[in-house]
Amino acid sequence: MSAFLIVKNLSKRFDNHQAVDNISFEIEEKKLFVLLGPSGCGKTTTLRCIGGLEKPDSGIISINDEVMSNNDEQIFIPAEKRGMGMVAQSYAIWPHMTVFENIAFPLRMSKFDKNLLGERVEDALDMVQLKGLGSRNATDLSGGQQQRVALARAIVGRPKLLLFDEPLSNLDAKLREQMRYLLKEIQTEIGITAVYVTHDQSEAMGLGDELIVMNEGRIEQSDQAKSLYNDPKTRFVGEFIGTANLIEGIVVDKKNDLSEIKLKSGNKELTIKARTSSHSVNETATLLFRPEWISINKNAKVNTDNSIAGVVKNYQYLGDRAELIIETDFADIKASVVDDDDYTVGDKVLILINQKKAIIF
Amino acid sequence: MTSLAENLNFKNLVKNISLERSLFWITAALMFAAIIYPASMAIRAAFFENDVFTLIGFQRILELDTFYSDISNTLLFSAGSMFGATIIGVSLAWVNARTDVPGVKAIEVFCVIPFFMSAFVGAIAWRLLFVPNAGMISMFLLNHGVPAILLPDIYSLGSMIFIQSVFYSPFMYLYAVASFRQMDPTLEEIARIHGAGNWSTFRKITLSVNGPALLSGMILVFVMSVGTLEVPMALGSAGGNYVLSTRIWALMNNMPQDVTAASALGMIAILIAAIGIVIQRKLLGNRKFTTVTGKGYKSKRISLGKWRWIVFALAVIYIMFAVIMPIVTLILVALQKFWTGVFSLQFFTLDNFYTVLFEYDVTARAIKNSLFACSVAATISVIFALILSQVRSRNAEAFMGWLVLLPIVIPGAVFGMMVLFAFVKTPIYNTIFIIIFAYVIAYFYLAYRTIYSVRLSIHPELEQSARIHGASWFQSTRRILTPLLKPGIVSAWLMSFILFIREFSSVMFLYRHGTEVMPVVFFMLMERHSARLAAFMVIQTAILLLIMIVYQRFTSKNSTGAAF
Repeated sequence: MSAFLIVKNLSKRFDNHQAVDNISFEIEEKKLFVLLGPSGCGKTTTLRCIGGLEKPDSGIISINDEVMSNNDEQIFIPAEKRGMGMVAQSYAIWPHMTVFENIAFPLRMSKFDKNLLGERVEDALDMVQLKGLGSRNATDLSGGQQQRVALARAIVGRPKLLLFDEPLSNLDAKLREQMRYLLKEIQTEIGITAVYVTHDQSEAMGLGDELIVMNEGRIEQSDQAKSLYNDPKTRFVGEFIGTANLIEGIVVDKKNDLSEIKLKSGNKELTIKARTSSHSVNETATLLFRPEWISINKNAKVNTDNSIAGVVKNYQYLGDRAELIIETDFADIKASVVDDDDYTVGDKVLILINQKKAIIF
Repeated sequence: MTSLAENLNFKNLVKNISLERSLFWITAALMFAAIIYPASMAIRAAFFENDVFTLIGFQRILELDTFYSDISNTLLFSAGSMFGATIIGVSLAWVNARTDVPGVKAIEVFCVIPFFMSAFVGAIAWRLLFVPNAGMISMFLLNHGVPAILLPDIYSLGSMIFIQSVFYSPFMYLYAVASFRQMDPTLEEIARIHGAGNWSTFRKITLSVNGPALLSGMILVFVMSVGTLEVPMALGSAGGNYVLSTRIWALMNNMPQDVTAASALGMIAILIAAIGIVIQRKLLGNRKFTTVTGKGYKSKRISLGKWRWIVFALAVIYIMFAVIMPIVTLILVALQKFWTGVFSLQFFTLDNFYTVLFEYDVTARAIKNSLFACSVAATISVIFALILSQVRSRNAEAFMGWLVLLPIVIPGAVFGMMVLFAFVKTPIYNTIFIIIFAYVIAYFYLAYRTIYSVRLSIHPELEQSARIHGASWFQSTRRILTPLLKPGIVSAWLMSFILFIREFSSVMFLYRHGTEVMPVVFFMLMERHSARLAAFMVIQTAILLLIMIVYQRFTSKNSTGAAF
């Protein structure tokens, strides 16, 4: 069986800016698929091409074996004929309609049976927890409520594919979290396939069954959230997802599981062991480790294996954890620890890097 | 027990009334009086004769056997023009703001020219094209065997509506284009994703979301059409199609003059305008759409596909009708010794321009009068607008918002008559200052809105910090505010000047021998000398286009548009 949504060799150019540069990916049915990346990386353009709001320069888009767009064969199904639902960043609630009419719009467009329409809209309202607000003027609602109306409108017609264009980024942090759970619940409940665009990595990781990290119009890595975090394939992904310490060095040994990298600074040298990925011996590579992949020893006098000596430069206690910046010969290292030890700026410490977590690429 | 004075805390009250506030309220009160006093004089003229209350004016207009046809003509003309102007203006606005029609920049420039050229000039040009035995196009058609019966009747009510629609559509265009540009394009995109085609999206989303703005524009076109003398005088009177405004003018200027009946008719015209406004309010309800916009996704133009060139052709036809044909006609007629309906090189001459500029004293005087009156009035408007946009308090701003709208709802011809009544017993009556007064009051909203909107964009902290650093109100206004307001001031002045110089309906009541402005002389020459009239109109149009070019250069550099 082939995938539900197939995007093949998609490209789109605006004036002199290549927004999307020959990307391909596939999505299985009933999965929520996230396009993640910084602004201007091409994720929104990709979404708009899938929706039919943007005409690609080249490539093929097909849904459920039906071709939506194929430049070689001059096929381009207009947006209104693609049978999709969409939630936009600006809510895009029509100000001249009531909540009910906003939600009923997709049904009216598809000539839905008028006798069943009311019930269907009420169900959608119920699903987004806005029962009884149908007769309200859409623009009298709060931002969070408007976003729920937009969601109800997008799902009411049971579209083949649901598109989300940064739907939560206009909401405040608390609401955003609530909506995230609601969204996931509804998407699983009605079993819809969805493409979700965001620049917020916690949103992306929490929601996405599958994620694509995009940068400058290209796909950096396509994976599940855990793999993106633990096994970044590129420096960009490592930096973009979560917080990372990145130090360059030269690979001196490569084995199946563990490799060794030599860090250099002036006449100081240090060898660190970490997991092997795509790199070759004697070449420059990057050592990546996350702040929580290290432990700090305050009292060690001598260097132990796989550790770097340093001095505490900054210390912030955050309740569930503490964050430190430790100055070493090779780089300033960000550390995150859950112990309740007290640190003072100027303390000499030893940073022990977990070699089963850290990675060289 | 505390006294009333202590309760009200008079001392604090007095302290709070600073210089700027008192200046604001004095100017606002003056403006208010400048509208209310003429209005009350007109009401007085309608209901009193020889200082005795009477309804005889109304009785006399009811006895006129033209009364009902005047009213139905007025209603047909105004409503027809409103719908015509809306269809043309909104289509052009949509095409320019939202589609990928070729040559959009050029179409944009041409679309607003007809309004500034004035409908009177346009109507005269069309008359020169289609007048039965001397029209350029009608003669051409007749000479090529087209039977006379097939020629359009340029004097008919239908022609009047058509020409009024063409020349007032820029007004709708400006309203619609601003509204379309402010709209979040996602509103349309979401509709398309959820199954609405181009046409459904335009009808159910674009038109409806912009409904309030379009309705405001429509009602203004309606009221302006009720009060205009331009097209009704250029075409209607000759064809016997009178409307209320031309009837009022005739009652005031033909012998025997009947001031009471004219004023009573004025009241009826105001009533018709008021009914229009009430209907608009009813349709509008309390809907005032404020839309949440996203982080500024660029407004994507709708691809017209194969329709691109058809739409382009329609826009070009409009520009031909409204700009090119009238101007070319006027130039050709102006270059003829006398007008026979056919341009012939044999009669080619530049004498008409020479005559109206240097020989003919009334035309030469009118040019001087127009330039003087329009510059003085534009300067006064800008100064008043500056004073009145200073004070930022909810009361003051609400009062101003209401005050500047008052003259707009009074039909132009009635407004001219009101101003006449207000000054008829004063020395101002015989001077050009009565015309300057009418200019300032009738179009003050334009200067005010332009400067006010620039003023709103200047953060109050800029002035507050000047005050904290020791500047008086006057110093901070002069050194901080005025330079920042400069773009607004210049565009308000130029736009006011353009509107004044073409104003026809009110000045037709206000000129005397010696105070004629250019549009008045158009009227005087209308039935006498087509070639000289055309030459004079070409001169006015040239002045207007020159100022428009300055204005467009200026606003494109400073990005402050007119606040229509």
